[in-house]
Amino acid sequence: MTLREEVERPGQVKIVFFPYGIREWFKKGVSIFDAAKALGIDLSSLCAGKGTCGKCKVKIEEGMKGLNPLTEQELKHITREEIEAGYRLACQAIPTTTVSVYVPERSRIGKQRLQTAGLEVPVKQLNPLVKKYFVELPKPTLLDCRSDEDRLLTTLNEKHGTAINLDLDFEVGIDLASSLRDAEWAVTAVNWKNRIIEIEPENTSDRCFGFAVDIGTTKLAGFLMDLNTGKVATVAARMNPQIPLGEEVMSRITHQMLEGQKGVKELQTAVVSGINEMIEECCKKANVKTNEIYELCFVGNTAMQLCFLGIYGRYVAFAPYPPVLRRGVNIRASRIGLSSHPRANAYFAPIIGGFVGADNVAVILATRMLESDEICMALDIGTNTEIDLGNKDLVLVDSCASGPAFEGMQIKHGMRAATGAIERVSIDPETLEVNIRTIEDKPPVGLCGSALVDVPAELLKAGLIDLTGKFVAEKAKETNRLRKGPKGIWEFVLVPQPETGTDTDIIITQGDIRELQKAKAAMRTGAEILMKRLGEERKEAITEDDISKLFMAGAFGNYIDPENARTIGMYPELPLDKVEFVGNIAGTGARLCLISKEEREYAEKIATTAKYHELAADKDFHKEYIDALYLPHRNLDRYPDTVNLLKRLGRIK
Amino acid sequence: MGKSEEIFKKLRQAVISGETEECAKVTQAAIDAGIDPMKVLTEGMSKAMEVVGEKFENKEYFLPEMLLSAEAMYAGLELLLPLLKADETEVKEKIVLGVVEGDIHDIGKNIVKAMLTSAGYEVIDLGVDVPASEFVKKASEEEVGVIAMSTMMTPTLMSIKDVEEQLAKKGLKGKVKTIIGGGTVTEQWRSRIGSDAFGKDATDAVDKVKLLIEEIKTAVKLMEKKRKERTRKK
Repeated sequence: MTLREEVERPGQVKIVFFPYGIREWFKKGVSIFDAAKALGIDLSSLCAGKGTCGKCKVKIEEGMKGLNPLTEQELKHITREEIEAGYRLACQAIPTTTVSVYVPERSRIGKQRLQTAGLEVPVKQLNPLVKKYFVELPKPTLLDCRSDEDRLLTTLNEKHGTAINLDLDFEVGIDLASSLRDAEWAVTAVNWKNRIIEIEPENTSDRCFGFAVDIGTTKLAGFLMDLNTGKVATVAARMNPQIPLGEEVMSRITHQMLEGQKGVKELQTAVVSGINEMIEECCKKANVKTNEIYELCFVGNTAMQLCFLGIYGRYVAFAPYPPVLRRGVNIRASRIGLSSHPRANAYFAPIIGGFVGADNVAVILATRMLESDEICMALDIGTNTEIDLGNKDLVLVDSCASGPAFEGMQIKHGMRAATGAIERVSIDPETLEVNIRTIEDKPPVGLCGSALVDVPAELLKAGLIDLTGKFVAEKAKETNRLRKGPKGIWEFVLVPQPETGTDTDIIITQGDIRELQKAKAAMRTGAEILMKRLGEERKEAITEDDISKLFMAGAFGNYIDPENARTIGMYPELPLDKVEFVGNIAGTGARLCLISKEEREYAEKIATTAKYHELAADKDFHKEYIDALYLPHRNLDRYPDTVNLLKRLGRIK
Repeated sequence: MGKSEEIFKKLRQAVISGETEECAKVTQAAIDAGIDPMKVLTEGMSKAMEVVGEKFENKEYFLPEMLLSAEAMYAGLELLLPLLKADETEVKEKIVLGVVEGDIHDIGKNIVKAMLTSAGYEVIDLGVDVPASEFVKKASEEEVGVIAMSTMMTPTLMSIKDVEEQLAKKGLKGKVKTIIGGGTVTEQWRSRIGSDAFGKDATDAVDKVKLLIEEIKTAVKLMEKKRKERTRKK
């Protein structure tokens, strides 16, 4: 859902591109391919749009009815199944009404940059729930006519000290006789907890795999794990295929509400298909078969938990936002169609509350903040930002709807971090000249999150916007980059058209700045309220000085300039050396839960110990939010270093 | 005349720049000078808030500035209200306003409230997380023409639908008009849910409310005309 969307413009059609979240109006008659090109969207083609190469396949998510009929060229390149699934060649499809277009991975040239790496944390104990035991069984004789089952269990007990009363999965039992005999009594038992879930022929104990997944609202990160070493074998990442069904968590739950059981199923199928793609990719790279995966471990926010497990999520969307399941969930992976061994276990880590999910449990787990003497803060930045504050005595958690602005959504020229995205911006405070850096040094097509942190900070330092975020009109005398847009709204040209990879200037509008202010204020408010409430709990005020460390987590967190983020007041003013970038630490948490029973038990404990604070219901929320909308903050005393910087630049007296 | 115009100008300035004390001071001066309180409201507050709304629309003003202006406006209004109430010559239109059930975000709602108040409406603010039945009950008790509902979130758009359904059940649809707005509300949603109007921002909301009230008045007149015709036929 976007804000205040226009429904119609005469003679024009609106085209929305996923997973980029870019939308624009075009003259009727334009092909989807030309529209994509004009927007600098990464869409592959060898024939430059003649319909002969078949490379520019896109999936029409919405608005199929308004498209021209399939052309002859398309019938040559698109299979029947694809037609049924809504595929078209972008160069042949001409919309007459609004369409939503999904550009599948294979039709892209450039790579979406998806952060998968996260802090490596020493695991307490390598102790996966899946274990393999090789045994050679004595053959049955007239003197030893024990059942196959007893023969297996006792030998396992003798050789490996496993419990004598292990469960034997009935499905294994059905084939047990032939499994043992076909393997000539030399087999490897695969155990999950106290249950034998497979009998493999010969000794396969050196191959034991699991898969850990961080299900983000926009991004999925998957890790094939070697459970014998606890190390990552291979990594994959994807955009969450649920995006076309709703850009953020609330829209996805709304999708469930509108479509009922069908919607619940659609969301589940979408995310599972994305996960399966990652599993297959990782397995292929590591030369592992998917049915060698015996356990999968998932983290994600509460809405992702609901969507993944196929649970109707209406109630979590309404105040007071109660979640449905809170503890970790174990289900058979095959039940929800995951590509793995049919009897593999899928574990979804526990959640804390309606807006704080397993991903945040993973953050607390992996930062070890609940074991720290010193007070730490963690900021897991995403569409929803979770904030944690505390130490071994108490950790408080809240969540704020920071919105997708820093992911490039709702920003005129915003985009995800993909080829051609501007990722760094600096503005010379004297000459007001702009310097940019793009991903892979390609011609700029839009701004991604890290640049969207730089832009307001640089504009502020250059005196182009004031502390309220408003463009300073007088500056238009000094530079023609600052100008009034079509509706009389101020905008700043970051890259003029001849230098862009699109057919327009790349600009930042006053409205964009407002969206970014809202996003950063939400995060800042979340931090401020936790400082206040933790202070009350501890009966001593918590100030910036008390915070020994700020963990900056989340995919985009790693690329942002910490000083610029601080200059706009995204987080409390801490010395920069206290800021530690930990990357996709939710993924780290998922891996820890996969490779260690102790870590998993600890995660369950965290989920009951960390205390959730409902931000929107906090009595100070309103005031703090308004104060935090200022750059860096209404209360400048809280930002002495930033104030000094701005003073040096002559921006404030 | 020149003097009151000067006071109005000062008053507008105080509201636009969000100076609460100044606004109270100038309002008091206007009252002391014997200027018609209704005039003070329309020429001072209303016009100022219109400017504020415009500035918000073109993104020059942001939430903090908007709220400061609203605060200043209320400071003056508080002084005017007792005088306005005594003056019953003009019946004010009432509006019921609230954030729908399941949602508790109220910054936007408060801004709309300020804009409607400054435009001369009597706003009955039901607060946040308001059950559908409460909107309907208040609307019929107070005989209001318009119910204004807001939400920031998507799922809670369904709560608006509940209100529409309850209005229909009670046969109030058409008599009571609805306007909706807030972060996730769009024109598509409005038509899907069946509300009467969508305010894309606070200024737009005021314009739309005016239209809705016009519609109601026309409808009432039409009904009266028909009734008269019917009685004449008899």
